[in-house]
Amino acid sequence: VIGGRLLGRARDHFDWALFLVAALLGVIGVVNLYSATSVLRASLSDMYVQQVYWLVFGGILATIVAAIDYRHYERLGYLLYAVGIVLLLLVFILGRDIRGSSRWIYIGSFSFQPSEFMKLFLCIALAKYLHDDPKSEERSLKDLVVPAILTGVPTLLVLKQPDLGTALILFLMFVSICALVRFKLRQLFYVVAGGGVAAEIAWNYGLKGYQKERITSFLNPDANVLGAGWHAHHARIAIGNGGVFGQGFMRGTQNQFQFLPDQYSDFPFAVFAEDWGFLGSLVLVVLYGFLVLWAIRIASTARDRFGAVLAVGVGSLIFWHAFFNLGMVTGLLPVVGVTLPLFSYGGSSVLTILIGIGLLMNVSMRRFYVSPGRGGGLILG
Amino acid sequence: VSDLLVPRSDVGEFRKRYKWMALAAFLAFLVVVGRLFQLQVISGADYRAIAHENIVRRVTLATTRGVIRDAQGHVLASSRPAYNAYVVPGRALPSARPPHHATLDEVDTWSHIADSLRVNPEERARFEERIRAACTTDEDKSPCWRPLLVREDLPRDIVAELLQHESELPGVDVVSTPVRYYPYKNLGSHLLGYVAEIDAETLTRFHPPGYEHMPAEERQKANPLGYDVGDGIGATGVEHAWESYLRGQRGWEKRVVDARGRYRSGPDAERILDAPHRQEPIPGRDLRLTIDMELEQSAERAMRAQLSGAVVVVEAKTGRLLALYSKPDFDPNDLAGGGGKARVRETFSKLYADPLRPLLDKTTSGAFQPGSTFKPFSALAALEAKVVDPEQKEKCDGFLMFGRKMFKCAHVHGKVDMRAAIAESCNIYFTHVAEAAGMDSIARMANEFGLGAKTGIGVNPEAAGRVPTRSWYALRYKGQFRLGFTLNAAIGEGAMSTTPLQLALAYAALGNGGVLYMPQLVRAVETSDGAIVQDFPPRVRHKANVRPENLARVDDALYAVVNDPKGTAFPVRDPTLDVAGKTGTAQTGYVAAKDVDAKTAWYYSQSHAWFAAFSPAKSPEIAVIVIIEHGGSGPTVAAPLAIQIIHDYERLQAARAGRPMPKVATVQKTLAHAPAPGAP
Repeated sequence: VIGGRLLGRARDHFDWALFLVAALLGVIGVVNLYSATSVLRASLSDMYVQQVYWLVFGGILATIVAAIDYRHYERLGYLLYAVGIVLLLLVFILGRDIRGSSRWIYIGSFSFQPSEFMKLFLCIALAKYLHDDPKSEERSLKDLVVPAILTGVPTLLVLKQPDLGTALILFLMFVSICALVRFKLRQLFYVVAGGGVAAEIAWNYGLKGYQKERITSFLNPDANVLGAGWHAHHARIAIGNGGVFGQGFMRGTQNQFQFLPDQYSDFPFAVFAEDWGFLGSLVLVVLYGFLVLWAIRIASTARDRFGAVLAVGVGSLIFWHAFFNLGMVTGLLPVVGVTLPLFSYGGSSVLTILIGIGLLMNVSMRRFYVSPGRGGGLILG
Repeated sequence: VSDLLVPRSDVGEFRKRYKWMALAAFLAFLVVVGRLFQLQVISGADYRAIAHENIVRRVTLATTRGVIRDAQGHVLASSRPAYNAYVVPGRALPSARPPHHATLDEVDTWSHIADSLRVNPEERARFEERIRAACTTDEDKSPCWRPLLVREDLPRDIVAELLQHESELPGVDVVSTPVRYYPYKNLGSHLLGYVAEIDAETLTRFHPPGYEHMPAEERQKANPLGYDVGDGIGATGVEHAWESYLRGQRGWEKRVVDARGRYRSGPDAERILDAPHRQEPIPGRDLRLTIDMELEQSAERAMRAQLSGAVVVVEAKTGRLLALYSKPDFDPNDLAGGGGKARVRETFSKLYADPLRPLLDKTTSGAFQPGSTFKPFSALAALEAKVVDPEQKEKCDGFLMFGRKMFKCAHVHGKVDMRAAIAESCNIYFTHVAEAAGMDSIARMANEFGLGAKTGIGVNPEAAGRVPTRSWYALRYKGQFRLGFTLNAAIGEGAMSTTPLQLALAYAALGNGGVLYMPQLVRAVETSDGAIVQDFPPRVRHKANVRPENLARVDDALYAVVNDPKGTAFPVRDPTLDVAGKTGTAQTGYVAAKDVDAKTAWYYSQSHAWFAAFSPAKSPEIAVIVIIEHGGSGPTVAAPLAIQIIHDYERLQAARAGRPMPKVATVQKTLAHAPAPGAP
């Protein structure tokens, strides 16, 4: 009886829209990955199958994450955060150098990117901090010292790898979450000014040569088509080549003739846009837009600050990833290695996004919480 | 557990922000959509064009250069494939590439490749250095992926070996390019010429500034034959003069390539290509020459003992050239580039250093004093002007004092009439002829027979020779005109010069009743399957204005040169042949410079030995000219060679007509007298 009641509640409270959109993106992503790797089938043995495994595994994880009342995460928030930091430190010990940076931890034949999971841990930690620090008056910069430190530590560790894209996402998630709270207006100016100085310093001392090259080639896209501008240049041609209706599935020539490097990791959207054209791209952008807006809606209906911040955090994670990736592929933004959620190949990335969606589902389902005492167990509370 | 279920903290602080956030996210995605609209809808067609251009490449299809054959159909010039080995640095030596890009399944094959190509250790080190230098980067368009030419014109066995091990040796490509091939090697090298790689200067003539961006029609106008870097172009001889016929028109084919430049085929690739897919190449026209290669061989055999000289055999009643032989010669295969550029350079430096000038075609580009071979024209001038009675005898004492200058004769000929004077080659008689006729009428008669003017053969730069006149001397010399000039002209010395070809055509005219023909080297233009496109009939250049009886008188005298027991060529005559001709021993007026060694000085002081003939004497089929540069005496050196060539001609004609061969005559070697140089 209890089981039936629980399942019934789960069914009633289940966020079908969230689930469907996420599932749709996952399916489209795999189909697109099939097209993106079709030309390399011999050398990249069936990446899309691997991606399906990740999606299934991520779905299971998301279900588990959604099933456990998020208030447990709140309780364990700082512990999870600490685990994330330790893993990031381990990267420096266990990591291997690939293309000039070490981002991976290898355990046997299995490897993962702790920086991906750190995004969620940071989200939880920031949510816990803001949950525990309710204020109704405007905040000053002092109130942001702890969140800034919480963000700063993993961001610097990730920059050290170096992984500019992930560091950027961590920072922007922090900014998005901060946007929730009220500020004294004057303090905001300090932040902007400070940010400007920091950017200047980062440009001069922080960025590697290839990173700078990518930004300059973005500002002047035609200067170095064969070198640093190659990715952006050919991605733009691929998208344009799609036209209104697209070249058709697995018929995009830019992809099929190998003009798109990293077509399965950072540039799958170029493949998609070439195959499916403007109409297909529009559908995809609408799906991402819906997902982000839906996350904000979930935040707005959350019953507590932790849930709200968590939803905004995950929503911003998806937003920044999607926006940066689409912006980079379409040539609106410089090329920084940021994956497209559920589209890019990669276990860590897929799992992170799916767990994030699990967290959203978690918050969404618990908006129906009415009063203490009625809730049953911890599992579906 | 219960504290988890207490009312949660206040969310009011966040309430106002959600709408702004949603708006910001919405706007951000709107910007992305706007950008996509711009790229895909507004500029979609442009990008589609670029994407198409990225993968469709127009590959030129080689055409084959026309084959050159002789009159009997022997192939004189054709094309053969030369196999060149290229190495792609990044694939042959992946370890040279930046480490993080190389994949594990690639192995270095360079040392195996170098072994297979038999590259010597020194070259191997040099190439390895170049490979490493090319692969400091391995971006898609870096030199790391650009093929490097390692060996040219591989022997067949190496090609076979490479093709057999193709799969184990990634990184080596064997590319065949057509190379001109001359099966007769040195024989006829001057008239055939050779094909060389087009040089930068010539190429700029066909590629005016802005050529790359010209529309197709303008390109066609500027470069009708479609020359490109690395193309072969006829450099000399027939190859050069008939280039536009021989070259052919290249075709093209659209091919699909990927980012690494690899060709793709199959239905996917076919779908991308837009019509037309292909334009077939048009092969060059074949040429049939008038040359008879067997006669050319005969000329070569005849000249084998000589250092330097020329032979011309022309059909007397058509002007068709049967043999054009110039010595020393060269092997055009060495210059056609088959053996690699190093061999071309080496051959050229050797040819340029040779003092006997092997690159010069002496039949048309070399002008020499004709010596006594000119005498028939002087005689004709006097006869036409009726200033000399041919029957009247003049006395020859062996010399003649003329002012303070002494004209020498070869012998004391005694009393000679015109016939005897020509047959015995008496210089003294011709001083009377010169005096009577005068320089200008001799020059006019020479011009009647085409001397002093280019023949218009149209192959190789042609010398006009020189027939001096009074006005020429007036321009040339400040001093007074002297009668001595006229005397020199009458015996083909001094300022007088002719090319062997001019003299051949002039002698043909002497024999055929005064018809001067255009020299003809190309008989017909044919398609590659043998159909005649254009056939060239003989063309008369000029009809010499001489009275037949005068011509007959001179021809009779020329007959006497060979057949009268006193004739200069009588000792070397072939009794089975019916030849008329004239010997010549032309002084060169060489003055040795101080630093020239004695042997060289002796060689250059020798006279040019000539023999000009036509055969058969009554109704000539051919005219033959033999000149041996610094060969000495015409009757003893040049005449036997000409007789031998005429004999070979008769033998060939008989063999081709199925007649029995003429008997080989024993040439009488002992000479009645050896004429002194300068006055045969």
